[in-house]
Amino acid sequence: MTEKILGLIPVDWRFELTSLPYVRKIIKSRWMPFLPIVLNLSVFTIILMAGFVGGVSAGNYNFGIMFVWIVWWLLLMMVMVPFFSRIWCMICPLPAFGEWLQRLGFMKVRNKLFGLNKKWPKALKNMWLVNFLFLGTTYTTGFLTTRPIATFILLMSIIIGSIVLMAVFEKRNFCKYIGCPVGGFLGLYSNMAVTEIRAKDPQICKDHKHKDCVIGNEKGHACPWMILPFDIGRNTYCGMCLECFKTCPYDNMAINLRPPATDLLVDKNRGLDEAWKAFIMLGIAIFFFLIMQGNMGFLKDWANAKTTEGYLTFVVLHSIFNLLLIPGVFFVFVYASRTLGNKEIPLKKLFTNFSYTLVPMGLIAWIAFSFGILFPNSSYVLHVISDPFAWGWDLFGTAHFPWTPFLTGVMPYFQIGTLLFGLVLSLDIGFKISKQTFQKRDEAVRGFIPIAAFLTAVTIFLIWLFTG
Amino acid sequence: MEKKQLMEIIAGILVLLATVGTIGAALLYDEHLWGGLRTIELTAQAPERGNWNIQEIHLVRGEPVRIKIRNIDTVSHGFAIPELGISLNGTGEIKPGNVGVIEFTPDKTGDFLFTCTTWCSTQHMQMTGRIIISEK
Repeated sequence: MTEKILGLIPVDWRFELTSLPYVRKIIKSRWMPFLPIVLNLSVFTIILMAGFVGGVSAGNYNFGIMFVWIVWWLLLMMVMVPFFSRIWCMICPLPAFGEWLQRLGFMKVRNKLFGLNKKWPKALKNMWLVNFLFLGTTYTTGFLTTRPIATFILLMSIIIGSIVLMAVFEKRNFCKYIGCPVGGFLGLYSNMAVTEIRAKDPQICKDHKHKDCVIGNEKGHACPWMILPFDIGRNTYCGMCLECFKTCPYDNMAINLRPPATDLLVDKNRGLDEAWKAFIMLGIAIFFFLIMQGNMGFLKDWANAKTTEGYLTFVVLHSIFNLLLIPGVFFVFVYASRTLGNKEIPLKKLFTNFSYTLVPMGLIAWIAFSFGILFPNSSYVLHVISDPFAWGWDLFGTAHFPWTPFLTGVMPYFQIGTLLFGLVLSLDIGFKISKQTFQKRDEAVRGFIPIAAFLTAVTIFLIWLFTG
Repeated sequence: MEKKQLMEIIAGILVLLATVGTIGAALLYDEHLWGGLRTIELTAQAPERGNWNIQEIHLVRGEPVRIKIRNIDTVSHGFAIPELGISLNGTGEIKPGNVGVIEFTPDKTGDFLFTCTTWCSTQHMQMTGRIIISEK
């Protein structure tokens, strides 16, 4: 019998969005995703300008800060990732210059790419590097979210880094393994998305020996993300560049609507790198809350590097909390799970598999955290769209719109509701993973008890933290 | 010209518009908005972070001038020339990231003090500069 997500939607339910003729036509056009990238590039040009001329002014009145760390971040966590998977990677303008350089053009198809085209070392084909990169980036959160010039430096570093590294390493290795701080969590959390790109009929791909999607043809590039489009098991490394739609001679690729979190049930290619990504993301959500919205002023001062000692304390505590403490506590519960379930199951397998229960929990925690930014702070956006560079403009008559928090009275209910939904989804996915891992149902039930306890405890803690 | 070549040229133009065009449009709009009158741009920061970027402003009696004060600091600032009775409208406060604008025509010569009018730091009293108004 087919399993159902939350007991409602069968895991294998799909609706093919690209079966709508006009959607397929748009997706197959070479202007897609070029046009959204260019549009986005224009917005990022404004962001970079605002960051550069904004200097060290307060972040909440700066277009760069507001659009990167409020608008973009909220859209990413609340809309893009849960609904549209890695759609951000599709339209991201930051690596565009590097990719155009590789292709020596904007639109033309050129499967022999310019540059050294070095292969990325096999040992590093995982999320470890981006895990540390993202964690490293969060060390600067005190500056990034308050100092426009810091956001400018970060974005310019990514652009210049991508140009240099994409001239050395082939295709999208930069985005996938090397230089994008957010690429790791976009990949992991896109497993939660209700959309996916998959082959329509696997048999067609099996019978087609030439594999145009892998090697490219005159209509499109070989998959820049170096995956096998005919065998995408999970969304993790699909950057939604749409090249496979162009190259497939059988029109066999599809964008599907599906139930959420189904990729988490794919018992293939799970790894400790992704497990740690899940720990880090959950830990950062907690730490970010404490720094940005919590009442521990000293922690904010540490993160803002008021003193060197304070800043170093923040870096050390932040690292230990994310890299050791959360995984360590989780390990204790996994050990209990093994003891109750079946002691013959390898501990590493159990630890890795169950860590994926933290993916729904983590994403939902970020959504709940984001409400705390959305309701109190979004009115700043009205100011910055009218005067993006703080040059005294008033483009839309809203430059003097005062800071106006809204719905803050009901915000805790949104957060509690979201976190409880996250718990239910995590328990649902977790029990399915438990059944996969233990195989026997009674072992799976017993083995899942400690994990369920952990997930419940984390939810209660997050509710207390966010709304207490 | 082949369709592919044409697409490539259009794409190149779009990229230029998105980058250079955006920057150019912003600068042109700013010029259009503030042009026509001599404009002096002051940036405000508390003394320990840099103070006024210009400490001495030279004006000519009878020539209209605009002083645009950009607060690039993390705290509010204000602006006034007490001896000329000139200050910002409203609360007189320029919040971080905001801009205050004053337009006036100097009607007397001399050496006048301009100052921040919002208590911005422990060194607030040092956040001053001079306006020297001379005959043409």
